[in-house]
Amino acid sequence: MRTETTVKTRAKIFSRPEIQTASLIVTWMPDAGKVGAGVAEYLNKKLGGFVFAEIEPLEFFPLDGVSVEDDIAHFPETKFYCCPQKNLMIVKSDLPRFEWYDFLVTMLDIAEEICKVKGIYVLGGMATASAHTIPRALLTVANSSQTKRLVENYDVVSNMEYETPEGQRPTINSFLLWIAQQRGIPAINLWVQVPFYLVAIEDPQAWKKALDFLDRQLELGVDFSELNDRIARQNQRIAQVRSQHPDLDNFLSRLESNLGLSTSESERLIRQMEDLLR
Amino acid sequence: MGIVFYKEPELEAPLLIACWPGIGNIGIIAVDALRKMLGAEELGEIEPWEFFYPKKVVIRDGVLKALEFPTSKFYFKRTYKGDLLFFIGEEQPGTGAKVYAEGTKAYKMANLVIDVAAKFGCKRIYTSGAAVAPIHHTTDSRVWVVPNSESLIKEMKGYPNTVLMSDIEGRGGQGNITGLNGLLLGVAKKRGIEAACLMGEIPIYLHGFPIPYPKGSKAVLRVLEMILGVEIDMTELDAFAKRTEKEIESIYHRLPAEIREHLDKLASMTYIREAEPGPITEEDKRKILQEIDKLFKKESGED
Repeated sequence: MRTETTVKTRAKIFSRPEIQTASLIVTWMPDAGKVGAGVAEYLNKKLGGFVFAEIEPLEFFPLDGVSVEDDIAHFPETKFYCCPQKNLMIVKSDLPRFEWYDFLVTMLDIAEEICKVKGIYVLGGMATASAHTIPRALLTVANSSQTKRLVENYDVVSNMEYETPEGQRPTINSFLLWIAQQRGIPAINLWVQVPFYLVAIEDPQAWKKALDFLDRQLELGVDFSELNDRIARQNQRIAQVRSQHPDLDNFLSRLESNLGLSTSESERLIRQMEDLLR
Repeated sequence: MGIVFYKEPELEAPLLIACWPGIGNIGIIAVDALRKMLGAEELGEIEPWEFFYPKKVVIRDGVLKALEFPTSKFYFKRTYKGDLLFFIGEEQPGTGAKVYAEGTKAYKMANLVIDVAAKFGCKRIYTSGAAVAPIHHTTDSRVWVVPNSESLIKEMKGYPNTVLMSDIEGRGGQGNITGLNGLLLGVAKKRGIEAACLMGEIPIYLHGFPIPYPKGSKAVLRVLEMILGVEIDMTELDAFAKRTEKEIESIYHRLPAEIREHLDKLASMTYIREAEPGPITEEDKRKILQEIDKLFKKESGED
């Protein structure tokens, strides 16, 4: 399944880290609750990750201008980080718009050729109707029954049943899982829940859920103190919002009691939380 | 990227009938109906992953069981009149939100289809699509034919109910066929294989609706019936056409009365050059077509 176009034409390799049989964590931007970027940046910061390669954007992104995100011009990037002491490789990438197959093949070519990757964890946030005070669930999808056994001892939901509904298409995460399966690389999709009103903001609690799993699974020894502070700060801000806005407090209380909100109430909650927490 | 063959039959100078979806699914309905009626067997398929995004994932008990892609399959059938190859693409390989294929992927796929045609010594290729035309849905569709070689014109014109681009007023023999049903003609020409596209007419006011137009497919099948010298049972297609006609009538009656009044005139006129004057004068015809053009703010075309 490898294409003739090699890593050389689609990627820039800055250095060849001396790691073998590495684990690969793949993260995307944008992602619900900024889970992908949050986890990748935290791991790189705590584990001393450095960039050793990148995929050129030309074939995979429109490049018809730049987007502006949080007041800053953004250019699409796909960066490969390495944490040699932990035998870990991290990909932090904008979600490609075109040629997913060629993109993913290039990514796995780099991972296999340079770091001899032995296992892949693909991260994604998924919106949930639950409140932020309810613990996040982590759902897993493995690309083989043997791989599934690796996660069964953890606090994860590992028995998902799913078929793409009519009119929708599978995610790039499923495509990556399938390509890894064709290459015989064990791979797991990790879907962490993000309360729907934090999807466009950030959800450090969701980052922690994913990080906690990766820390234990890959024995990374991550220091969580900085993240715990960030979670505490966000919880404090939400508590403040609740005390100042009784209508929002009412919506959140209903979610905490497993009572649903109407579409207009949900939209109002999203809009106001975005305004107040950003 | 390649082609996987399930069988390696010996075929003698087969005709290839190839089709991808397009407006009103006219071509794909016709070609698929013919394939089924003749009981063609699966021959092979083009590996999909470089052309298409996945269309469905199946997860069971937390394990990825399948990732499905749109199919691009070949079929074959030996008939007493000659051997046939079929190619049916479930989707046109596109980039982004575009329905019709273009660029590198389209060219690669067209060449893969021609590779199979060449491998089996194919002598001619037919594709099929829709011709968006100023006709009324109560009238029978004709079939616009575009060959890739001048040597085919006489033969194509000889089949009943066919129309060449030069027969259409104001076109001067010009036009375009969007997507792979057209591109395949060009790639076949480049590789020295005769080919023609058969396009069943669809009324101009229906081409934007996501509904099939089996009446156009039936017209294409009638022409294929003559070309292949086989008899085609239209019972199922007739029933399908009847069902969609009800849907079309309901759409038609939801149009404003003023627009319907204009469109009704299409039932009694033709845009094909005629030897004898019809019931509507040339001046009337010109006015009606101009009004309809204004209504839809675009000229008629093909897919």
